[in-house]
Amino acid sequence: MSDRLTPRRVLVILALFGVLAIIVMPWVWALLSSFKPRSEIMSTGFLPSEWLLDNYSGLFRDTLFVRWMFNSAVVSLSAAFLAMGLCGLAGYGFAKFDFPAKETLFLLVVASVSIPPFTTVIPLFGWMAKLGLLNTYPVLVLPFAASAFGLFMMRQYVSTLPDELFEAARIDGCGEARLFWSVVLPLARPALATVGILVFISSWNSFVWPLIFMRSNEMFTLPVGIAGMNSEQMAEYGLVMAAAVLSSVPMLLVFFAMQKQIIAGLTKGAVKG
Amino acid sequence: MRARRAATAYLLILPFFAVFGLFWAGPIAASFLYSFTEWRGITPPSPVGLRNYENLLYDERFFTALGNTLWMAGLYVAIANTAALSLALALDSGWMRLRQFFRTAFFLPMTLSMVVAAVIFQLVYAGDIGLLAKLLAPLGIEIPALLRDPATAPYALVAMRVWRTTGYYAIIYLAGLQAISSELREAARLDGASELNVIRHVVLPGLKPVALFCIVLSTVSGLEMFDEPMVLTQGGPGDSTLTVVMFVYQQGFQFLQLGYAAAASYVLTVLIVLVSLVQRFWLRERGR
Repeated sequence: MSDRLTPRRVLVILALFGVLAIIVMPWVWALLSSFKPRSEIMSTGFLPSEWLLDNYSGLFRDTLFVRWMFNSAVVSLSAAFLAMGLCGLAGYGFAKFDFPAKETLFLLVVASVSIPPFTTVIPLFGWMAKLGLLNTYPVLVLPFAASAFGLFMMRQYVSTLPDELFEAARIDGCGEARLFWSVVLPLARPALATVGILVFISSWNSFVWPLIFMRSNEMFTLPVGIAGMNSEQMAEYGLVMAAAVLSSVPMLLVFFAMQKQIIAGLTKGAVKG
Repeated sequence: MRARRAATAYLLILPFFAVFGLFWAGPIAASFLYSFTEWRGITPPSPVGLRNYENLLYDERFFTALGNTLWMAGLYVAIANTAALSLALALDSGWMRLRQFFRTAFFLPMTLSMVVAAVIFQLVYAGDIGLLAKLLAPLGIEIPALLRDPATAPYALVAMRVWRTTGYYAIIYLAGLQAISSELREAARLDGASELNVIRHVVLPGLKPVALFCIVLSTVSGLEMFDEPMVLTQGGPGDSTLTVVMFVYQQGFQFLQLGYAAAASYVLTVLIVLVSLVQRFWLRERGR
């Protein structure tokens, strides 16, 4: 297939740029609005008459935005690293060992994927209250660390590593712990990175869990904090837009730094079926 | 030897399953049991048999929620998948040098949390001060405050979800397209098949596993819609955007009818399982 620029291709590209405009416009709108004073957000112009940083300084002065971002970072990073550990170990177990009830256990994890959110949250609320875990970080970290997707990913990847490698290491007297640490982990690094990133993203963006389990303003994560600002009686939309813009910056940085792993991770499962 | 290998394996999977049991498997089972109790949060649950499920049958708001959820999810799945497939076909036939750029750009909205997307879109939809109205005003089209009108609010929420996820599905479809050998397509073209026929008889059948994945995934996520109505409409105006998950949240965490909420949530769970089974079966049948 040649890669010449035919008239038909030009049309297709123009159409794609049209779609791109639709995708980008709301972001640009949020960015523009975040520099406007309150009165202008409620008026009909496009551009701010003067570019003000008031909304951003207000965000740092009047809200707990920095604290929410800190909470989000702590929770999402912990979940990502813990998921890499849990899913790495279990994925290796499922890929390279035979044991009773193996298929049943795996199916159990598969089946949990499409369960609606509150089915688990309803009993958990009482349990977490009894365990004294309401309003603490672990209640947001642990459920995301036991990631069903992470388990599939690790099992699939580790099962492609040759069995001879493991046998040779065992014959050389390598213990199971060392085998995991110095053979499985280094070889499975690409898959681990993908699991870590995807768990990070889903934790960073999650809304239901922190909404239910975090009970005080200073323990909120970004989505709950921003939703709260937005639902106040006299919501300051300029502040909300500044928060929306700033809160998406870390995610964008992560995305641009690691887009290969992210896109590969999110599409791989689908194409293999 | 075998027994020792099995013991090692159990040790390897133990940490995962300890957490999985406490946060997923355990609660899913417990929720099922709670759905047969009256449980108001403070007092311990007391068994009531099937009464919660019976009450759901007579609860008009539940049926409103069920109806809203089904048609909004259906609309979302249809639009998102059609748009995503068209985008993927365009990307596939387009000029390769730009493909990587578009792939990245189309994926971007997916990195936004639903909450952030929602607060941004409320300023897009906000009547004459909203972006949509300002863009369409020069064309003489007037856009009312879409989220305040029961006739338009559900469409506004679906459109927002399409905006956020279509690029993601397009990239999955594109990966599927690129897995179909281009020789096969070239051969069909050389045999004189029109572009449309190549798509219909060569490309679409080959895309089936990918389509199944995207359709099931978008259906499940559509049936579980919660963040957008929670942030933007609280299920209103006039229950027009009340989804089943929103209903469960209100019953469970606003009215503290936890047993009743568990029952409603289980109805949705069964529905999701059924719909994904039917889709799997249907797509497989049509494939032969």
